[in-house]
Amino acid sequence: MTQEPILAIDSLSISFDTRRAEIPAVMDFSVSVQPGEAMGLVGESGCGKSTVALGIMRDLGRNGRIAGGTIRFKGRDMAEMSEAELRRIRGNEIAMIYQEPMASLNPAMKVGRQLMEVPMIHEGVTAEEARARALKMLDDVKLPDPARILDSYPHQLSGGQQQRIVIAMALMSKPALLILDEPTTALDVTVEAAIVELIRDLGRKYGTAMLFISHNLGLVLETCDRICVMYSGEAVETGTVAEVFDTMRHPYTQALFRAIPLPGADKTARPLQAIPGNFPLPHQRPPGCNFGPRCSYFEAGRCDAQAIPMQDVRPGHATRCLRAEEIDWTAEPEAEAETEARTPGKVVLSVEKLKKYYEAGANALFGGETQVVKANEALTFEARESETLAIVGESGCGKSTLAKMLMGLETATEGRILLDGREIQDLPVADRDGGLLGDLQMVFQNPFDTLNPSIPVGRQIIRALELFGYGASDAERRERMLTLLDLVKLPRDFAERMPRQLSGGQKQRVGIARAFAGGARIVVADEPVSALDVSVQAAVTDLLMEIQKREKTTLIFISHDLSLVRYLADRVLVMYLGHVVELGTVEEVFAPPYHPYTEALLSAVPIADTSVEKERIVLEGELPSATNPPPGCPFQTRCRWKAQVAGDRCATELPEMRRFGAHQIRCHLAPEVLTDMPPVLRHAAD
Amino acid sequence: MEPLSWGAIAARILLQFLPVWIALAATFGLSWVYRAKLGLYGKLFDNRIGLIGLFLTLFWVYTALAAGLFDWIATHDPLTAVSGMKNKVPGTPLRGAEDGDFPYYLLGGDGLARDVFSRMVAGSWIVVQIAPLATLFAFMAGITLGLPAGYFGGRLDSVLTFAANLILAFPVILLFYLLVTPEIVASGLPAYLSAGLFLLPLVFLGLLINARARTNPRRRWMLLAVMLLPLGWAYLSLISAQGSALDLLPAALDLFDVPGGILVVFVSVIFVNAPTVFRLTRGLTLDLKTRDYVAAAQTRGEGPWYIMLWEILPNARGPLIVDFCLRIGYTTILLGTLGFFGLGLPPDSPDWGTTINAGRKLLSIFPHPAIAPAVALLSLVLGLNLLADGLREESLKD
Repeated sequence: MTQEPILAIDSLSISFDTRRAEIPAVMDFSVSVQPGEAMGLVGESGCGKSTVALGIMRDLGRNGRIAGGTIRFKGRDMAEMSEAELRRIRGNEIAMIYQEPMASLNPAMKVGRQLMEVPMIHEGVTAEEARARALKMLDDVKLPDPARILDSYPHQLSGGQQQRIVIAMALMSKPALLILDEPTTALDVTVEAAIVELIRDLGRKYGTAMLFISHNLGLVLETCDRICVMYSGEAVETGTVAEVFDTMRHPYTQALFRAIPLPGADKTARPLQAIPGNFPLPHQRPPGCNFGPRCSYFEAGRCDAQAIPMQDVRPGHATRCLRAEEIDWTAEPEAEAETEARTPGKVVLSVEKLKKYYEAGANALFGGETQVVKANEALTFEARESETLAIVGESGCGKSTLAKMLMGLETATEGRILLDGREIQDLPVADRDGGLLGDLQMVFQNPFDTLNPSIPVGRQIIRALELFGYGASDAERRERMLTLLDLVKLPRDFAERMPRQLSGGQKQRVGIARAFAGGARIVVADEPVSALDVSVQAAVTDLLMEIQKREKTTLIFISHDLSLVRYLADRVLVMYLGHVVELGTVEEVFAPPYHPYTEALLSAVPIADTSVEKERIVLEGELPSATNPPPGCPFQTRCRWKAQVAGDRCATELPEMRRFGAHQIRCHLAPEVLTDMPPVLRHAAD
Repeated sequence: MEPLSWGAIAARILLQFLPVWIALAATFGLSWVYRAKLGLYGKLFDNRIGLIGLFLTLFWVYTALAAGLFDWIATHDPLTAVSGMKNKVPGTPLRGAEDGDFPYYLLGGDGLARDVFSRMVAGSWIVVQIAPLATLFAFMAGITLGLPAGYFGGRLDSVLTFAANLILAFPVILLFYLLVTPEIVASGLPAYLSAGLFLLPLVFLGLLINARARTNPRRRWMLLAVMLLPLGWAYLSLISAQGSALDLLPAALDLFDVPGGILVVFVSVIFVNAPTVFRLTRGLTLDLKTRDYVAAAQTRGEGPWYIMLWEILPNARGPLIVDFCLRIGYTTILLGTLGFFGLGLPPDSPDWGTTINAGRKLLSIFPHPAIAPAVALLSLVLGLNLLADGLREESLKD
């Protein structure tokens, strides 16, 4: 390539000094970004991808330093620049966008002032000029009513709008390089899809080079030209997106792809393959190849003999694997013994017209005006024994409220929850007996929050057993606790450990063990793997399904990750603004006829498969507030099919469930229109 | 005999503190060896500020223990006047010293011819007896009210927070003066207040055990009985005094009597500190109750008090420990203030506040009787503040 790269990193090493020793966070890392190119940096948490970004910005904190290598920006070595020069470059020529939009905006300053600051500081333009530019930029990031937004404070905007502001702020100075550190991880899928589309368009329009840091392979496929896969502080594979996705040449990349649920994955025929073992801690890296101990192609005496250099597979595609030429990369993974499909049994849980309204806003002592939050509206569904029912929807759709009502943390406003024919909707958790408590348990979302950090792991499980009335003596409960640890495949001596000594995946396993302690018949799993890394996700998902099969548990799986839902669920319930908008088996929900919202959701999910083509549907507008939902159909404000319904029925009348056999869709569209919808996902080969 | 030179005074004082030096050396040596296993306390040894704080704090704690329990360190009786020693400068030889008497007033004599050095050392014993205990009671009261306020929220929270704000808005010194006014004492208000405030720790411990052992009724009643019967007796002995407003126990059963003045000191310290602890605990609870492990405890059917005391409180310990250190310092100052105004403690008490007040009158001519206790008070509070700083810094690191 003749063009000079915007950013050229050559054998960069970054270390952090800690009390114990110097810890290398990034080692021998080389990457270059050409003008107008989008480079994806992918890896699991702790692999050093954010450290690279901070290294480029030279913002490593007090104990971090660049231990070796060079970073060249537009051909100039950044190590030779003075503090003043670096300051001029940061935010002007290199801009950075972080994960949490609210943390990047000053909450005490109006959005307009924050945007105007950028050109005023870096280019010294007048306030009027800066304001004009800010208005234009807001238009570019497709924010409605820019003048009003300029006069708002950040907290008055939604998460998606805030992230658009952050992007606008980054682009205000027309930077040569834009670093995006997980820019959409904190956002909902449909919002994420809109932001990703925006980033891609803006990149094209302004010709900005981008370094896109993400853990999500699907997102990188949608946004980037080239990709660099990192593992434990090293780049292990770089190349164009198509090369790396279709002809990967590093075992770690291959393992990653086998661990994520792609549309072809099938829970019975081809289960996800978790990567065995754990991510090595920075000060406990193995000799030779870092991935060696977890690699199925590992060759003792060779892979662990010396440091492995990056080598080219072909020009522009390099891998850090000695055996790249020897491995048969097309071989299918060894199929595990095909597991029997579960057959759902009788109905255990049925929910009828369940409704939950909250009152909010009044002061307890002095009173005041109350507002009603309509969290759930007339939910009706059933769940059978050993069935997985997925509840899908974005934040604010009421899925967590539903979980709380099932668990008895909230009582219903109206309607019924029947467990084996017994009404439990008015039975708060404090009034439930040990049997009922043990029957209905929950797995929580955040692994770092699910266990009490002050109590040893074993003790927490034993306490649950005590409350469920299990066993007559302490010894008996202890024995049961140990078998539960076996069940979730944790070593028995973990019982004595404190939660902080466990990794995220291990904590989640303890959480699962605790949920199944009382022989739970219904387990509500609220996004149980969304906070885990890809490779661990697969292991925890498989574990959950395995236990479910053995115990014939009904699993109510709350998730926003449609790929995962498609992989593990039997039936899917789609929620929007407190309503059930679609209910059916996985096959029915993931194929036409769709509810218009389901269609948009499906389109929004990034898929890490180059052979899948997606119909692009970007939802306009914001999610309406649950205190003031729109009349008629809850989705009518954002629906792209609204024009096809005669009159203004969508705006006035709540649609009835339209039935296609057992498949239900809450929509006014004529059945023929629904069935004739084009599928959102297509295999290129089809 | 000649008066001692300043160098000789310093040397003799250092020698006098020998038991403290030995104890400090032993503590620091052992802690240094085992620091890797000592958690947050061990990490303190990597923090210079925290280490200085620990040194100062432990210095006064060991001094108090040596002086209070073994009668070491102090050279004379802190309450006895020796004729001819009135307002003598530091290092003055003792007039008419007999065999076995320490031959000097190391830091001179005060306005009533008592040994300043010994009074300073004896004063530390009063501080160490009262300040941590009073602060502990304040914490138990603040925690017992703060946890439910934060956890349940709603009207209970509004009422309790409003009450805490009321107390915080009341001038502290005025409150103390009111509490020791004879008319108010006669009305029994301090006694009733103390009865209420001292009950909270009992409630706290009772709830703690009850919540934990709820699943096993036999163990629950046994533990409750073992714990609460002696404590209840101690409580009744504490609050009842013959002839006072609360004369509950017959004299034969009354284990001990706390002088009314000390009780007032306790009540005021708790009264002033508890609302702040309440607010801290309430805030921490509001944050911690949204954690998944709290929801997990709820879904397995735990009662609210188990969740508050065993799920939330242990995880709030970091900020509470730091605040505890700081608050002992404030309490020490508060004791000084009370002593300075002559509230609560007997007028000849060697506590630092009283001593400073007594030395104040001739400050321009004879500064030494006031300076010694002032430096002592300052160094202890400084030590506690530095210790709190060190703990906070270390607890925030990884």
